[in-house]
Order: sequence, then C-alpha cells, then structure tokens
Amino acid sequence: MFKKMFKKTQDWFDERIGLTEVINEFNNERIPRRGGWAYTFGSLLAFLFTIQVVTGIFLLFYYVPYFPIARNATYYIKHHVLLGNILLGIHLWGAFTMIFFLLIHMSRVYFSGAYKKPRELQWVVGMVLFSVVVILGLTGYMLVGNENSWWTINVLTNVASHTPIIGGLLRIVVKGGTETSVITMQHIFAVHVWLLPIVVILFIPIHLFLIRKTGHQGMALEYKNSKLPDDDPNKWIHPDGTVPFFPDQFFKDMIIALGVFAVVYILAIYVGAPIGPMYRPLALNFAPEADWYFLANEELLKYFPGHGLIIFSTFLVPTIGFIILFALPFIDRGHERSPFKRPAATVLGILFLLLLVYLTLIGGEPKAPATV
Amino acid sequence: MSKSSEESPSRRTFMMVVIGLISAIVGVALAVPILGTILSPLFKKRDIVWTELSKVSDLEKIKPLTPRFIPVYFRVKEGWSINTLPRQVVVVKDITGNFYFFSNQCTHLGCPLHWVPAREKFLCPCHGGMFNALGKVVGGPPPRPLYRWVHKIEKNTVFIQNKFEDNPKDRGI
Repeated sequence: MFKKMFKKTQDWFDERIGLTEVINEFNNERIPRRGGWAYTFGSLLAFLFTIQVVTGIFLLFYYVPYFPIARNATYYIKHHVLLGNILLGIHLWGAFTMIFFLLIHMSRVYFSGAYKKPRELQWVVGMVLFSVVVILGLTGYMLVGNENSWWTINVLTNVASHTPIIGGLLRIVVKGGTETSVITMQHIFAVHVWLLPIVVILFIPIHLFLIRKTGHQGMALEYKNSKLPDDDPNKWIHPDGTVPFFPDQFFKDMIIALGVFAVVYILAIYVGAPIGPMYRPLALNFAPEADWYFLANEELLKYFPGHGLIIFSTFLVPTIGFIILFALPFIDRGHERSPFKRPAATVLGILFLLLLVYLTLIGGEPKAPATV
Repeated sequence: MSKSSEESPSRRTFMMVVIGLISAIVGVALAVPILGTILSPLFKKRDIVWTELSKVSDLEKIKPLTPRFIPVYFRVKEGWSINTLPRQVVVVKDITGNFYFFSNQCTHLGCPLHWVPAREKFLCPCHGGMFNALGKVVGGPPPRPLYRWVHKIEKNTVFIQNKFEDNPKDRGI
C-alpha cells in the first residue's frame, strides 16, 4: 500500500516538474571504480561544512560579538546552555577536522595529478575554498573573545600592516579604527558569519559543476587497461571501469562521513572547546598561541629579522607561496598523472608536506620567554 | 510590435547594451555606499586623550635600568561607544636619570613583552624578539626599537597620550 502511495506521489511530481529525471541526473553520475575510497574526501568536506553551518546558526542564539562580553557568551554556551558544550565542541572540532581533511584532499589531488588539463579551474576554485576556510578558522578563533583571540587579532592585523603601500590603511580598515575595539569584533563577526560562508556556499556548487563539465578524471590506476600513451589527453577520458555515484560511491562517502562525525562528536563531548581566560590587555606574563594550522606560518614569522627583511615573513613568502599554489596547474603542464612517473612533482610535494609538519611541530613548542 | 533580437541584429545589440548599462548602474550605485562603509574608518579622526600616569617624585624612586610597569586607562571614543583602553606604560630610568616611557608591545607584531630580570631583557613570547632595558633590539625579528608613549610633565605629574612617538603608520597600540 505504501509502495502504491509512493508511486502516486512520485507520478504527481513527475507529471509537473519531472522530479525523477532530475534526481537520476544527479545520482547516476559515473565515478571511476578503483579509487572509490580516495574520492570520498570531497563529499566529506561538504558534509563537514554543512555541520559547521548548522551548528554555527544555533550558536548565534546566544553569542554576542562584543569584546568583553564575547568570551562570557561563549563560556555561557559551554557551561550553562543545555548541551551547549556539545554544539560548541562540534563547531570547534568540526572546523579543525575540516582544515585537516582539506589538506588531505589537496594532497590527494596533487599527488594523483588530478588538477591537470582540463581541470585547471577545478583546482583554482578549490584553492579559493581552501583560503576562505582557513580565514574562517582564524576569524572563528578570534570570535571566542578570550585572551588568545585578543592577541591574534592584534598580531594578524599587524601582519597585514606590513603589506607594501596599502598596509597601514588595510590594518585600519580591517580593525575599523587604530585600536582593537567593539567595531573590530563586529567586523570579524560579519566576515565569519555572513561574508565568507556565502563565498563557500557559492563556490562549492561551482566546484561540483566543474567536475561534471570536465568529467571524472581519476587517479592513474584507473587507466591500467588503456593502450593509449600517457601524453595522449584522450587516455584520461575513459577509465577502465565506472560505478554510479548513487549508491556505490555515496555509500562509501557516508561510511567515511559517519566515521569522521563519530570522532568529531567524541572529541566534542570528551575534550570540548577550551574557552580560556578573559582578555587582559594589561597581562605581563601571557604568551599568546596560534591554532595548530597556523603554527607553520607563525614559525615563519620568527625569521627574517629587522626592518628590511620583515616583509619576507609577513608578506612575500606567504603571498608567493599562495600564488604558486593557485597557479599550480599552469606551472605543471605535463600530461603524466601517476606520481611515480613524475618524480619531481612527487618529491617536491613530499618535501613541502614535511616542511609544513616540521614548522608546525617547532612552532608549537613552548616558548622560552613565557616560562623564564 | 517591436522586432525580436532574432529578427534584427541591431535590436539585439541595443538590448545587450541596455542590459549591461542597467547592471552597471545598479552595481555602481550599490558599490559606492558599500565602499564608503568599508573605508569609513580611514576618514575618522582618532580620539587622542591625555591621561595621568604618576607623580614624578614616585618615578624618581625607580632603580636605574629596572623597568616599572604602570597601567593607564585611556577613556576614548571608539565607534559608537566610549571605552576604556587599559594599556601598560613601561617606565625606565637610565643611569643619567632620564625617563623613558615605553609601550610593552613588541614592535614586531604587537605581542605583550615579558621583562626577564635574570637576563635584564624584554622578551617577546610570540616570535622571540628581544629588547634591552632602553628599548634597543638585541635579538629576534623586531624591525625597530620599542615604541615610546607621547608624554608631558606638568607640575610634578606625568601625563601620557594614547599615541606613540615616531610611529607614522600607527602600528601597535
């Protein structure tokens, strides 16, 4: 009987808007077969972003972006709102997890050469999403309103002030004045809650649309049976085997999503979101710390001493690094996909990741002055 | 009835120009006030106030080259509110008896400096900047000596302004 009712409802919609056809169009996309698990990171990130939006919206029921009050509002959410600690914890650990898996997703794409023609734009749009998500993380750290937030705002706006020519003005515009004030917090709030999420919400569909347009060009192992040479672009159009997105790939996506969600949830409950002390501009013994994903950059700031060189650590190195990352598909234009057949790219990638891990580890070490 | 774009290429061009113009007008009309809102802080004059720091006779008792941290509270207008900005003034007396009124913010990126008596240095907990008691950079990445607060001495009392000397870009604070 239910089957009959379902069929009737389906027919009602199909007659008017052809719903089944639309759904099939989405679900029957063909995905290369062998690398299934490696392709789950993209949907995992979409899943994590959805969780960030949902938890974020309801955190706003209590949050106030006013400097002395913000930290108390966060504290109230954690300790006095019913199950608020879980909501806040999911928002924090979800953010960390998202940045972590963004790096994994990017590495996967990098090592399997999936950014190569015709998918250059796919990579560029992905880089936009990456940059925005990192800024979302940093602004979120500032919105907690604790002591670290206060110094993070000051340090990062001072970093911005070393941009050539417009630096000083940029700092004032970002802060809404020369001092870190109510208006600074309101700016950060607007950026974190409205501006950047909208950018992400716009760019995720573009990212997905581009996959559809350029076709799924999987890892090199999808093309073992192909007789075409590697430098023939046609080789990468037809993988050996494909499966429909729904349910084959979606099933894998959901299993990974559940696994990661469980970890986030457990961390939210048992570790939670540390709130930290109220900001004290007068503190004489406080050592500000950055979030883990910013430690590598933080470490970079310790080098390049003096007036002439400071611009390297605050502007040139990060900017050039980002430009190279954005332009990667236009720099590396060979047709080889397999990481073993393009050793230079693979070795450089591994070295870069090792450098990142190394800088993060030494950047996270306790700093001497605070403890002397 | 007017012709459709398929019937007349010039009509098509005309319609495209009008569509473009309308988009441009609406775009510019919105962008101007939005830009104004974003850039507004550049046109605001900063609220500069004098605040009493301490009596000179009290400062005379400071040991030479031993910084004393004295908090000041600037009452300034910020946006739509009047706020109190708590800030540290680091008073240092050199061996000839001159006073220096430093900010405790690192000139690198603005972290709060720690005075380490054992080493007689200010150390920055963020990126390892080091300054001696007279504010000179002696190690790490800071690009310039410590900021000095604008100050004046009137009738045995030191007043401090929420402004640094020799700081054209208004960094720090």
